Amino acid sequence: MTARKRFLRWIHLLFLLFLLIQLLPDQVANETYAAYAIWFGVGVEVLVLFVSALVKKQEGLNLFLDIVGFLYGLLILWILATAKFNLLSEVLFPPPGRVFEQFVRDFHKIVVNIKSSVGIILQGYVLATIIAIPLGLFLGWSARLGNAATYISKFLGSIPPIVYIPYGIALLPTFRSVSVFVIFLAAFWPILASTMSGVLNVEQRIIDSAKVLNVKKFTMLFSVILPAAIPQIFIGCNQGLSVSFILLTSAEMIGARDGMGYYVKQYSDFGDYTRTIVGLLVIGVVVVGISFLFNKLQRYLLRWRR
Amino acid sequence: MSKIEIQNLTVEYTDKNRRFTALKDVSFSVESGEFVSVIGSSGCGKSTLLSILEGINSPAEGTILIDGKPISGTGTDRGVVFQHYSLFPWMTARKNIAFGIKQVKKEISKAHRLKLADEYLEKVGLGEFKNQYPSQLSGGMQQRVAIARALAMDTDILLMDEPFGAIDAKNRTILQELLLKLWEGDGVQEKKTVVFVTHDIDEAILLSDRIIMMSASPGRVYKEISVPFERPRNRSDLVQTRDYSKFRNELLSLFYGDIMDKIGGSEVVL
Repeated sequence: MTARKRFLRWIHLLFLLFLLIQLLPDQVANETYAAYAIWFGVGVEVLVLFVSALVKKQEGLNLFLDIVGFLYGLLILWILATAKFNLLSEVLFPPPGRVFEQFVRDFHKIVVNIKSSVGIILQGYVLATIIAIPLGLFLGWSARLGNAATYISKFLGSIPPIVYIPYGIALLPTFRSVSVFVIFLAAFWPILASTMSGVLNVEQRIIDSAKVLNVKKFTMLFSVILPAAIPQIFIGCNQGLSVSFILLTSAEMIGARDGMGYYVKQYSDFGDYTRTIVGLLVIGVVVVGISFLFNKLQRYLLRWRR
Repeated sequence: MSKIEIQNLTVEYTDKNRRFTALKDVSFSVESGEFVSVIGSSGCGKSTLLSILEGINSPAEGTILIDGKPISGTGTDRGVVFQHYSLFPWMTARKNIAFGIKQVKKEISKAHRLKLADEYLEKVGLGEFKNQYPSQLSGGMQQRVAIARALAMDTDILLMDEPFGAIDAKNRTILQELLLKLWEGDGVQEKKTVVFVTHDIDEAILLSDRIIMMSASPGRVYKEISVPFERPRNRSDLVQTRDYSKFRNELLSLFYGDIMDKIGGSEVVL
């Protein structure tokens, strides 16, 4: 039997175990949602069959199957501890079926909230990127301005953006614009700083070989210095992105009327922990999804590096 | 009128408040279509001289005339190959060449530029590597691309700063022969004017019409020697002749003679 098949069988056994557990009698009153957990498990199993038929690379497949294995393990423990043996407080730890059911019921609301959150992140982050990168290029290239700018951006960048929120609320008309502003600041300083240091660290031989090709100033900045600095720029972009997520969800918990942070905060205030868990899981999935796309972009733009 | 005229060039560096004269009163000229090598031990200022010709550095005194006109800074009349691999790592081999062409000839369309790039890659034997990034190529291959780029830019003058200095012995001889072949061309096109910096005497003899020998501290022209061998040249035939060994020995004794002058004259036995 090949290693690939062995892996597949191991996953299928876990899936079977997961199904068998459903046969145990429920200890929790009104547990009518077990079907949702089963459907979720079946969905994962279908995904496993689908992916293992498509993915040819053994390494990538093993990683995927390992992760699914963890997921099944977690689900089994979760079901045993809640629905089947009632070891935990039912209010604080709803069984998985109930969480999935709630997700399906709230799906529309969740999509609206995700749209709101992702929209704010995108606006603030994209705005920060399109201002910080050209500015960083220009400041980094101009030796004298660049020195002063490094100190100034170190000072301004060291102020945690979240403390701007009260002031932002006074300055700007809507909570949404405050959020965009805070995300903008959170992403702007690290991207500016990394762009400047990227420009300053471009190897002299790259600059010399561009010079002897007689490149014009504009070409030098955007076709030579910018791509040479991109590996460094991405360090700041990554940093800015992860800070943006933290800030946005915390900002939404303070004063927003929508967004995923608002969803979690609102329902935990009402003691609806099923929805709180739904919110936490959805935020996790969204953040992982955006990071995944971002990594794809980074890989593509840096494909020339070994 | 000579293609390149270097007149009384003096270059000084300030390094930690210490003044240092890299070149002192250097003058020589290069004719159109001539292949001139500049050789000398390290620290004789030969690379500094070339950086002035490239236009990356400027001299304290003296001028360089190209076609009778003084140069300031870099120019589209000169193509350069450095010792360190100087391709842009984020561009594929053909994009590197096409980018070079674009800087000197804006009027050529993108498709045509890429076609020209492919042609020159064929010439240096890298046709099938055109879509590879520099990080996927060996040092020798990268240098072939750099040569292809300089040739594709079709400048009158080629400046080469120890282009094969970092390449292993076997590949170095292959690249020398390739360069020789490409420079000698088909006899129809006008030959490029080349200034080639090296510390390898055999390389200088094989390639050049004339050798400028430099001496160090401060860097200045020590001797100019014409290379008497017929073209087209073939390395294996050339090195077997007695004339070659005689000429090579003369050059070597000049080379070491200079060093002996520096460290105390004839009492020193090498």
